[in-house]
Order: sequence, then structure tokens, then C-alpha cells
Amino acid sequence: MGAVWVLTGPVFLVCSLADLLDGGSDFLALLLTGAAVAIAGLLVVRLSSFPSTLPISRLFAAVVCGALAALIAVTAAHLATGVAHNLDVALVEAAATITGTNASTINPELLSLGMLLFRALGQWLAAAAIIIVLVRVLPHLGVGGLDADGGVATRSARRLAPRSGSTMARLVTLYVALTGLLGFAFLLAGMPFIDSIVHALTTISSGGFSSRSGSIGSFDSAPIEWVAIFGMFVAGTSLPLIFRAMRRGDLHRFVRSVEFRVYVGLIATVTFALLAWSDGLPSAASIRHAIFHAVSSISTTGHIAGDFNDISFGGEALLVVLMVVGGMSASVAGGFKVMRFMVLGRYIGRELRRSVHPTVVEKIHLGRSSIGETALARIIGELFLATMFLVPTVLVLSADGLDIEGAFTFAISIMSNVGVGFGEFGPLKHLGALGAFGHLAAALLMVIGRISITPVLVALGGIGEPAQIAIRRWRTTRREVVIR
Amino acid sequence: MRRIAVTPVRVAGAALIVVAAAMAISAAVALLDGGGGAEGLFWSAVITVSVGTALFFGSNVSPSADSALAFASVAWSWLAVSLAGALPFLLTGVIPWVRIDDALFESVSGFTCSGSTILSDFGSVSQGLLFFRSMTQWLGGMGLVVLAVAILPALGIGGLELIASEAPGPTADRLSLRVRDTARRLWLLYGGATCIVALVLFSVGMSVFDAVTHAFTTVSTGGYSPHAESIAHFDSFPIELVLIVGMLYSGASFSLHWHALTEGIGAYRRVSEIRWYFCLIAGAFGMLLWVNHGEIEWFQNLRESLFYAVSLGSNTGFGNSDYILWMPAAHVTLLVLMLVGGMSGSTAGGMKVLRLQVIFRYSFRELLRARHPNAVIPIRMGSTTIEEQVAAKVVGFVLLYLGLIVAGGIALSGLGVDPVTAFSGSVSAIGNVGPALGEAGPTNNYLVFPRAGRVVLMALMALGRLEVFPAMLMLVASTRGIAQLRRRRRLTHSTFSH
Repeated sequence: MGAVWVLTGPVFLVCSLADLLDGGSDFLALLLTGAAVAIAGLLVVRLSSFPSTLPISRLFAAVVCGALAALIAVTAAHLATGVAHNLDVALVEAAATITGTNASTINPELLSLGMLLFRALGQWLAAAAIIIVLVRVLPHLGVGGLDADGGVATRSARRLAPRSGSTMARLVTLYVALTGLLGFAFLLAGMPFIDSIVHALTTISSGGFSSRSGSIGSFDSAPIEWVAIFGMFVAGTSLPLIFRAMRRGDLHRFVRSVEFRVYVGLIATVTFALLAWSDGLPSAASIRHAIFHAVSSISTTGHIAGDFNDISFGGEALLVVLMVVGGMSASVAGGFKVMRFMVLGRYIGRELRRSVHPTVVEKIHLGRSSIGETALARIIGELFLATMFLVPTVLVLSADGLDIEGAFTFAISIMSNVGVGFGEFGPLKHLGALGAFGHLAAALLMVIGRISITPVLVALGGIGEPAQIAIRRWRTTRREVVIR
Repeated sequence: MRRIAVTPVRVAGAALIVVAAAMAISAAVALLDGGGGAEGLFWSAVITVSVGTALFFGSNVSPSADSALAFASVAWSWLAVSLAGALPFLLTGVIPWVRIDDALFESVSGFTCSGSTILSDFGSVSQGLLFFRSMTQWLGGMGLVVLAVAILPALGIGGLELIASEAPGPTADRLSLRVRDTARRLWLLYGGATCIVALVLFSVGMSVFDAVTHAFTTVSTGGYSPHAESIAHFDSFPIELVLIVGMLYSGASFSLHWHALTEGIGAYRRVSEIRWYFCLIAGAFGMLLWVNHGEIEWFQNLRESLFYAVSLGSNTGFGNSDYILWMPAAHVTLLVLMLVGGMSGSTAGGMKVLRLQVIFRYSFRELLRARHPNAVIPIRMGSTTIEEQVAAKVVGFVLLYLGLIVAGGIALSGLGVDPVTAFSGSVSAIGNVGPALGEAGPTNNYLVFPRAGRVVLMALMALGRLEVFPAMLMLVASTRGIAQLRRRRRLTHSTFSH
């Protein structure tokens, strides 16, 4: 019912895009999958009706089903074109595509043009879908709309228009415009035409797929890297914030946003630390690469430039922390979001003060807005649940062939939808080193990381609801028997 | 002479006197053994006892008593004791004076029951000093139990208070109405357990010296061993079995043990934490067995997996082989064990099983709330509910704990340690385990960390042992106390001038 509404959205997008992509050797296969998926989508739409009201659990289920539908479609495309030979490889590639993670088993230089564009567009569209989720779904979480990615209210992220539809339209327009701008900038910086399209699509969506096996670094050009840095930086910034600032031409808005200040501060600190901990004096190239790494990590894009193996141990640790932090709230970036970490920091501070003054009553403030206890509890719950999922995945990954450093960094990185890991295998080889189990676990973790864990679990709970009710009934009857 | 009315000073003095007694005993051991070092131990005992008596008799208990003050006393006396504990290492010449921070590291690692050592050549260290090392852990361990039982509940950050809410009855929280009584009973139990472990160890073939020192470090879940290879030195399955039981026992709550002794074994069944504790260790054991299957011969696998599951699950840190050679998945399992640690109210370090339980319930409730936004759901443990305030404290603690681990890991890797060693070392230090992963495995010592890194680890150990919040309170209470003193002096001044 409710699920199907969202379900068809991505499916249609996928098929229309597949139809668009002529050229390249995989034309026929893509066209056929596109057609098949379109027919399936139409059938589902026909057979379902749009409900008048949407309870929250349905909404969550809808999001999860939408993601699953996109996953299935992209998996089918991968299998049909013969890019991936096994189901698990296709699945993990599809998961990487729709979650915007730069993890792949495939050398992009061997891909056909159609498939390359398809994957880049997949990342781009998935990020666009995230914007829709931001606007349409999050308001139903009971903690306000856009001003509540994960339940945190901010001034800068309040609704842009009275109706969520027009908000959405504005944000998507902005997104498209930014993509165009970035593509043009790449072109100006000296990138070939197709490459600049692919990179614009994957950079602004914080996806990270590249048309070269060495990512951005393979162009070895300073202007291109600067453009990429700018693009990733924008991808990690809150879209509504950009929109407001652009509309009024008021750059001061950025400075006023607390989260933005922390975001920039984090990038600056880590860049500085990367330089300070590296061997040798900083040169123009090393400064550029340090900024590149920091921005690529915090915006969870996962582009690579410069020598990744040159990063010192301390820098590595900091970059992983940046990956966990992720971009600003209401951005297309993954990760746990800067805002939530700020809230957590304030929370710890409050508990410390409480231990000194046990009876104190304090609200947590962020900028000028205060944060409700419910939202607080949700953020914390989310963090713990994510950790609880992370640990078993690390276990699976390490059992499936990764070294411990690689397993930890890679799991964290794919949960934040970055995709770049440290350790023995080099930045982009982790997925290739894994077996089928590892692929499945990685795919699951990517999806969970992207749509955050609560919706997934609630949706699962929604599926198990009849069983739950049955168990509860059985329990109560048993208790009555005991009482008698 | 007028005595200064400051509780922390007096408590620190008392603690120093106790440590001096330990030094004297160790000096006696050194004399008996004849391996030297008696002189150094004797002089450090003299210095410590003189400072201790001066502090003890020069001060008085503050007229007002609040929880912050109690905490400050614990934290400050810990500091004083750690300083004093570094003396024997310096005076016996085992660690030269230029490496005073290393002596301090060894002492802090002892009193916090961590068991990470920087001693590399155990042959040259006198038996008396090794005895003293084990004794520091033993004293530190008991200090912790008293802290958890008598003082932590006052702050309401978990500790026994949570157990209290689970085991109904007026005697659950404190074993008796008076703190002094509670402490006395716990000491009895603790001493008794130590004696039993020592006796059994002796009967399965250890020498008297080894039996006593290992009993000390087992019951306190410290993990110092007088041998460089730790338990692998004996290579005897019966000894390992005894230690496993000993570690399991001390990783569980001591007040629970007291209840079990007085009320029968049923007391264990009332508390869900102990079930979690056993499940965790059993789960880790199964995991290790499975991961190591095919790598190690089956009986050896059984033996090593069980030993390490218990040793790291109770945060003791004894070693009977080199787990660094195991598979990465085994390392992840061990890391989780180190992170969680033993039960609250035990001598073990780590985050504590109880807090893990609360975190689980808390997150699960958030899930339910996401499903039913208007539901009011209490956090239940067993049959009782946990107050929001307590849950918030626990959550705050866990967040801070994780934050400190990350901060420590970043600091260490910034100093040039490889990330695996850095982060696992951070986990191990704050959980007071001892061995870590990477280069700092059970067969290595902590000299693999750079000097500045060892200072970071030292701070983490102290923070972990004092359960983070008290350490913060220590600073707050002392600034407040100084301000009070100043105010009072100003008052007396003004009365004089009038």
C-alpha cells in the first residue's frame, strides 16, 4: 500500500535512465532491464492503491521498500550487463550505487560508457531521493519536518516554503543547478567531457564513483582537485542553508549557522593535523591533498587524490573519525552528521555538570534553538544501535579475509557511505578482497548506513507485527492460566 | 598545631600508611628471599609512612560531607598512592631516576589493576619488588570495590545502586547500614577469596611465592605476573583452570557474592547482570573456538580460547599464549570483551556489563518509540524499572567513555603508533585490562609505545579506574574546597581586624 507509492518512484527513475543511456556496448542489456523493471513497476502501481493516511511505521516501511526496490533494479542491471557475474557482487555493487559509497570490485576503466553513466546517475538519483526523504518523510517522525533530520531542530533548516512539495521542488532545482555548475567547472579545469559529467554527478551526491581506477588522483591536475574539493564541500553542506543564502545573496548566513562553523572548523583542524603529522615540509601539493582527504572524508564522498599511503597513523585515525561524523544535517552526505555530534557533546557536558550538581535542570541548546529530550534520546539510541550493528559486521569482515585495521576502517567507512578503507589492501581494494559473506554484510551495512537504522528496524518490526501480536496474546493467556 | 579540616588529605594519609605497610611486607619478603631490594623497599616504606602520618594526623575530617568531597578524597588518595608506589621501583634501582615517568606508569598500572608493564627484564627484578607489584594491584582492587559499594551509589552513576533496584530488600544496596561495616565485610570476602585462590594454586603445583602473587592479581583482576611470559610460564592446565575460576569469580559483583554466602546460592539468580556476564563470556568463548578452529590443535584451542575469554572478559589480562597470532576475527572478539569488562561492583574494569544492559534497553526503547511516538515506555531490568535520571547518567558515561577511547587512540596514533595498537591500547588502558592488540600483545610490554604515549595511557588508566566522573569531580571539589578555605580565612581575618 503505502510502500508501493515510494517503491515505484525509484523504479521509474531507474528505467527511464536506463532507456536514456544509449551508446556503449551494454545498450541492449540495459534497455531490456529498463523495460522489464518499468513493466514490473507499472504492474505494481496498477495493483495497489494509494492510502489516504500514512502511519509512521508504514512510512518507514515505504522508505525501506523504496531502497530495496532500487537495489533490486540496479542489481538486475548489473547482472544483465554482465558487469558482475555473481549475485553477491551485483548486490554489493548495487548497494554501493544507491547508497553513494565509493566501494567497488570493478575496475571502472573496463566499464562501458553506458554502465559508467548508469552507475554515476544511480548515485546522483539516490542522493536526490534522499532530499525527497528529507522533505517528505522526516516531518512524519513527529519532530517537525526539514528542521528535524534525526530530530534536531535548527533555525537554518526550517521549511523553505509552506508546502513540502514546493520545498522539494526548490531543493531539487538547487541540486540540479549545482550539478550543472560543477560539471562545467570540471570541464573548464581540463577534464574530458564524459569524465566531467560522471564526476559532477558523483561528487555533488557525495557518492564517489569515478571513471578512472585512480579516482580524481589519476588526472593529476591541481585545478581539477580544487574543483573536486569545492564540490565535495558543497555536498557536505546543508542544502536548505545554501538555498537560503543564495536566495538572499546573504553569505553571512553561513557564518551564523553554528553547525556550518563546526563543519568548517573540523575540516580545518584535520587538515592542519594531517600536515603537522606528515613527514617533510608542507608544499602546495601536500596542503591540497590534505584538504582533499579531509573534505572527502567528512562529506563521505570517498574520492581519492594524492598518495593515500602517505598519510600518517594519526591522520588516518582522524580521517576515520571524520567519516563517522559525516556532513551537515540536511545534506546529501552520509555519516552520523555534525549536528548530532554537537548535541552529543553538549549532552556529555550536561551529565558532567549534573554529577556535580545532582539536582540541576538544564536544556541543551544549539545556537538559538533548544533540543527536546525525545530528540536527544533518539539520537543516542540511533548511535548505539548503529554501533551494535557495526561490531558484528566488523566481525564478519575480519572473518572473511580483511586484516583487523582494514575491517574496522572499512566497516566504519561503508556505514558512513564513504567506501575508502585503510589497512593492507590499499584504499579501494577492500571489497575485492572479501568473499560472498563479506559482500552481503557490506551491502547490508551500506543500506543501513544510508537510510539510518531506526527506519530499517521499525520496518522489520512492522513486518513481524502479526507474529508479535500472536506472541503477546499467547503470553497473556498463559499468564491468566498461571493466575488461575 | 591546628589541623586542617580537609577530608581528602586525611584519607590520602590513611591510604599512604596502608601502602607503606605493603612496602614493609614486601621488604620482609625480599629479606627472606635474599634476592636484594630489601633496602630500597624499606626506605620507600619509611618515606611513605612519614608522609602518610604527617598528612593523616595533620588533618581532620571536614565538618561538612557531600558526595563531591567523598569522590575527591578517593581520587586524590589514588594519586598520592600512585606517587608513593613509584618509589620502590626507583629506590631499588630497577628503573633509573631519569625514567621516573616509567616508574609512575608501573605504579599507576598496578593500583588501577591494569597489569600493563614496562618491565622487560624480569630476571633482574628482585622477588620483593615483584611481590610489591602484585600487592599494589591487590590493594587497588579492593579500594575499587569499596568505592563501588560505599561511595558510587551516592553519585547515582550505576554502581551498586542499579543492582539494588534489582534485588529487593533493604540490605541490597549496602550490605549493612553503615559504610564502615559494608567495607569490613567486603574486605573479609576479598581476603578470603584471595586465601582460597592462593591455597588452591599452591596445591596444583605453584610455589608459595607464585601462588600468593598470582592470587593477589587474580582476585583483583589486575593481571601482573612475576614472570615475563605470564601464565604460559607454568604451562599447566590445572593452574589455568584455577585461575579461570578465580577470574570469573572476581569479575562478578562482590556484594552479590556476599549475598550468596549469607543467603544461599539463589541470590545469583535474582540478578540479570550475572546472566549477561556469563552469556557474554560464553559467547566470546564459542566465537573464539569457532574462529580458531583448524588453526590450532583442538585441545589447545579449547584451553586458550577459554582462558582468554575469561581473562579479557574479566579484564584481568593474564596470558597463556600469544593471541596476536590468531585470526583478525578473534581479535575483534577480544576487543569487544575488553571494552565491556566485568560486572559492576567487581574489581574488573571496563564499561561494565550493567551499563551495556542499560544501553541495550535504552536503544530498544527508542526503537519502540519510533514505532509508537506517543508511548511512554519505562526501561526495565529484570522486574524493576530504572529511573530516567540513572539511565541518562549511564548513557552519558558510556558516551564519554567511548569519546575518551577515541581521543586516546587519536593521540597515540598521532604520536606515531600504528592505529590498531593505538586504539586497542586505548581500550585496554581505559578498561584496565593490560594487554592490547597489535604490537602490544600479551607477550610484549608497553615499551612499544613512545614515552609521551605512555603518559597518555597512564591518564586513561586512572580515568578508567576512577570511572571518569569522580576524576572530574576531584578537580571540582578541590577548587571548591580551596575557595571555602580562603573564604573562611578571610572571615577570621576580618574578625581579627575588628
